[in-house]
Amino acid sequence: MKRAVIFIAAVILIAIAWDTGADPVRLARGLPWIFDFVRRMLPPDPSVLPAALLGALKTLEIALLGTAAAAVLALPLGFLSARNVAPRAVFYPARAVLNFFRSVDTQVYALVLVAAVGLGPFPGVLAVVAYTTTSLAKLYGEAVEGVDPGPVDAITATGATRLQVLRFGVIPQVLPLFLSYILYRLETNIRAATVLGFVGAGGIGFYLQTYLRMIDYRAASTVLLVTVAMVMVVDAISSRLRDRLV
Amino acid sequence: MIEVAGLRVVLPPSTVALENVDLSIARGEFVVVLGRSGAGKTTFLRCLNRLVEPTSGTIRVAGRTVTGAGPVAVREIRRQIGMVFQQFNLVRRASAIDNVLAGRLGYVPPVASLLGSFPNADRQLARVCLDQVGLGHLAERRADKLSGGEQQRVAIARALAQRPEVILADEPTASLDPTLTSSIMDILKAINTQQGLTLVVSQHQLETALAYATRIVGFREGRVAFDGPPAAVTPTVVRAIYGQET
Repeated sequence: MKRAVIFIAAVILIAIAWDTGADPVRLARGLPWIFDFVRRMLPPDPSVLPAALLGALKTLEIALLGTAAAAVLALPLGFLSARNVAPRAVFYPARAVLNFFRSVDTQVYALVLVAAVGLGPFPGVLAVVAYTTTSLAKLYGEAVEGVDPGPVDAITATGATRLQVLRFGVIPQVLPLFLSYILYRLETNIRAATVLGFVGAGGIGFYLQTYLRMIDYRAASTVLLVTVAMVMVVDAISSRLRDRLV
Repeated sequence: MIEVAGLRVVLPPSTVALENVDLSIARGEFVVVLGRSGAGKTTFLRCLNRLVEPTSGTIRVAGRTVTGAGPVAVREIRRQIGMVFQQFNLVRRASAIDNVLAGRLGYVPPVASLLGSFPNADRQLARVCLDQVGLGHLAERRADKLSGGEQQRVAIARALAQRPEVILADEPTASLDPTLTSSIMDILKAINTQQGLTLVVSQHQLETALAYATRIVGFREGRVAFDGPPAAVTPTVVRAIYGQET
């Protein structure tokens, strides 16, 4: 049984490799070109550093504003999609809506929104909000479903209203989790926002794409290094904050 | 003070938890409910404040009909009934005093309470209740930094803050070190004798039950198997409650 599964999986993967044209020989032939590309990126061109930093700041702004707005917008959706809080008639539709919108990535939202509101960081912010709201709502909902029912019972037993039960029985339990999810989303959104510029939605990705198109690889490598530095710094700060929360 | 007639509870999917329970408890009684686990003790207590929905039968507490009461009436009835749980059910991240203050949720203006604002009179009452269980000096300490015995005393203070007529305690000492049993039971007994509150306490320890109760009610397989004073609890009665093995 086990062997049969492994055999079938192997056959499928080999078929897929053939279908996608995965070929180690082709990779080996391409290696010199990759090395050549890297060689032409060095040394990075420091003259574009101000532009790169400005782009990084824009990217950071897109991710921060988008995540903050989504963190708030996701609150009602999160509670409505929690089985133990929402009435059944609300919970199932809320889940379905969340799953539908969550299956579309930030990049795809950006494509549509650039077409709708024009170029620049604003469609980028909207794209981050669109994706993050639904993904945070799902995480919020799961956190709410995981609460200890004991304090909820205890607050209910005092004669509290439904909202008071949420405020005093549920929220104190889920708040640290919510904050930790928000920080985690901020990290992933900064990564997502770096490539938003590729589709015209502002930020550092715009500079990277421009320099690559101009075949100015030394300028592009400066932009890449700034991107890596920004992501690493934000990850470090955010993960330190998250450690404190749990 | 408490009148139960023809109470029957079927828990989903089809477990008959209580069957044909008739009980009348007068003001100022200290009733200890005995029975093996699964005999219906917890379900019985939770029916009295409608944390569990009775399938049929009527319940009256402090002159009001609990069964069939609408949402507003249920909350008003719950205010009159303090509840203490086996697992304390405190909000772990909140301070002792804030946990006690939650006992006032049924009385304070709802909207202000959602913003964390409580009238001064309620804050003072919470402090009095915390003093009453001997924990005034630990008011600001977070609940999860208190010992088990201290947490249960905070939970009792929370119930007292409701200024209730009845206190229900579901196995209040079962999660505690046996040496703490008497300290918790002494506090409950003092509330009963000094303030004249009606207490209904479930217990798995026979000796403790006999030492504190003015009346024993034994449940077996969802039915009342014994109802009488502690002095009437003979080995035959114990067998009737617990079955042949003990």
